[in-house]
Amino acid sequence: MNEKYIYIYNNSFLSLLNLIQTLFKNKIVPQNIKPQDYSPSLFDKIVNLDIKEDEQVIEDIINYLSSNILNTLYYVYLSSNEHKELIIYYFWGHSLKYKNKIFYMRNLKSVNAALKISKYVSRENHRLKGFLRFKELSNRILYAEIAPENNIIFLLSKHFRKRLNNEYWMIKDVKRNIYCLYDKKDCFFVDGQNFEIGPKQWSMDENNIQSLWKTFYKTIGISQRKNKRCQMNFMPKKYWKYIIEMSEDDEESYN
Amino acid sequence: MFTINNLLDIMVLVIFMNMQEKLTILADSAKYDASCSSSGSALKRHGDIGNTAYSGICHSFASDGRCISLLKILMTNCCIFDCKYCLNRKSNNIKRALFTPEEICEITINFYRRNYIEGLFLSSGIIKSPDYTMNLMIETISLLRHKYKFGGYIHAKAIPGASTYLLNKLGNLVDRLSANIELPTENGLKLLAPNKDTNKITKIMEYIKENKSQTFVPAGQSTQMIIGATKETDYEIMKRSSEMYHNYSLKRVFYSAYIPVNKDNLLPSLNLPPLKRENRLYQADWLMRFYHFKVNDLLNADNPNFNLLLDPKADWALRHLEEFPKEINTCSYNDLLKIPGIGVTSAKRIISSRKYFKISFNDLQKMGIVLKRAKYFIVCDGKYFVNNLCFNRSFIESNLVLEDNLLTSLKGEQLSLF
Ligand code: SF4
Repeated sequence: MNEKYIYIYNNSFLSLLNLIQTLFKNKIVPQNIKPQDYSPSLFDKIVNLDIKEDEQVIEDIINYLSSNILNTLYYVYLSSNEHKELIIYYFWGHSLKYKNKIFYMRNLKSVNAALKISKYVSRENHRLKGFLRFKELSNRILYAEIAPENNIIFLLSKHFRKRLNNEYWMIKDVKRNIYCLYDKKDCFFVDGQNFEIGPKQWSMDENNIQSLWKTFYKTIGISQRKNKRCQMNFMPKKYWKYIIEMSEDDEESYN
Repeated sequence: MFTINNLLDIMVLVIFMNMQEKLTILADSAKYDASCSSSGSALKRHGDIGNTAYSGICHSFASDGRCISLLKILMTNCCIFDCKYCLNRKSNNIKRALFTPEEICEITINFYRRNYIEGLFLSSGIIKSPDYTMNLMIETISLLRHKYKFGGYIHAKAIPGASTYLLNKLGNLVDRLSANIELPTENGLKLLAPNKDTNKITKIMEYIKENKSQTFVPAGQSTQMIIGATKETDYEIMKRSSEMYHNYSLKRVFYSAYIPVNKDNLLPSLNLPPLKRENRLYQADWLMRFYHFKVNDLLNADNPNFNLLLDPKADWALRHLEEFPKEINTCSYNDLLKIPGIGVTSAKRIISSRKYFKISFNDLQKMGIVLKRAKYFIVCDGKYFVNNLCFNRSFIESNLVLEDNLLTSLKGEQLSLF
């Protein structure tokens, strides 16, 4: 069995950029790149280059790459795709040659993959701008839980910063245990904590408003046009758990 | 029969009904309006709460598969008019309700803060007079904007017959203002909505078009036609649409398959709303707006209705096979748009990629371009995908129809374009 050399980075986007930059410099073509907390298989040989966080290097990278390309790399990084690091490596590599023309080179496998994935991430972000549901807590703070496939809480928080800029709110990514806290000025990201928020902490009005919304939701559908498939296509079941009008829905009423 | 003739009646409507019940009545009466979009407004309002998203956001999807973006309600379902097709017509004996301005503001804000909605879509039955009704709507929306400091999206329906002064006032508060033409021809309207007249509706459209600005109806206007309640052909409907797009710079025309809610011998008795037909009209509308098709390309006096088995573009292509197959590597952008199955995004992708390499069928697939329909109508670098002998109308037609029906039976009836 062949051994596989796996280059690792410390989970952050910048450290991934730093690592790949170093690989390019040393003309190393990696067999794989993984975050340091991945679970290695038997034949993986882990290589940790222990690259120093060098602000200058990062700045150079950011200045060198066009914002389109950097954005694409970032979106792919946020995805849950298991080959994302290699895709980033190759996409970046091609971009050195093609510059901004890279976006038209969809006949190259890694380019096509990167563009597809980044589109997928941005689509999920857009979807959650709509599907996210806040609940009001007794101290008027708005609280929402999400469980997205991709790690989009950073992107999503930008939207709500503008939209609810005069409210205190908190979003929790339940899958990754990341919280975004907004204090009417800035967003803070916290991870690793875990506290449960349930109906006990809801404000007096919360139940009432939720049930008004469910009433509206039920009423607005036209029974003569019923189309469950269409509904599911646009609002996939994986999101239902956190969409209040869908969550406790007894399956039957939708069949 | 129910009319409001004194204050007491109104008080009864306002006070003795709980919010759940009111919302049920007033959302139920509003649901037949097809318009749902919340897009197109780039205006930054100085509100405390909310903004508008230029590309629109869907917050939920109803059991009928339609997007829910706005809190779509009537202010009241009381009405002095008697439009035959409408649940709220005065001759119907149904429960009536009325929201107070504060109630509408409270629900809107509470829903908006919780991210249930993008904003409010407020329409109304006509209570007392058009001006009286418009005034109440203005009071409501002005309260929402000024006291509640709401900066989100608002779409209001103008009441036909209201004064221009009020139209102007309302237009300055909302993102979108619109009036429904209801039926494609004046005769149709006379027949089914005897209290309305086409002129009053087009006057509103005219006014909005003339005065549209950054702050007056920034997201533009739309309108809606009911399909299948009267005898108009698709040709008449599309001609009407294209005329309205042209004359009043509409953002959208919505087509709403007629759903029988009343019994009336002037109305057709349908078992199912004509959803397939509605879908064809949306597809054709799309072709007119984004694909440079004209009504007369698609339909004419001898052929006045859409083929229900084939989408309008494929139908057109099959009638013009002499223009095909088209060479992907050389044909113009407009020609690419004429190929069934190729949309605006795909056409743009092809144009920008072929500068850098010669495109093969394989590349098209890699570029994420769906070939299911297109493959019959194109050549890549001189090569035809299917067997050359198969390039004839009956072969392609039967394949497309087969695929279409397979697809719809798998994916459900309605192909939504909202
Ligand atoms: S004006 Fe006609 S369509 Fe509008 S609510 Fe009254 S009866 Fe219905």
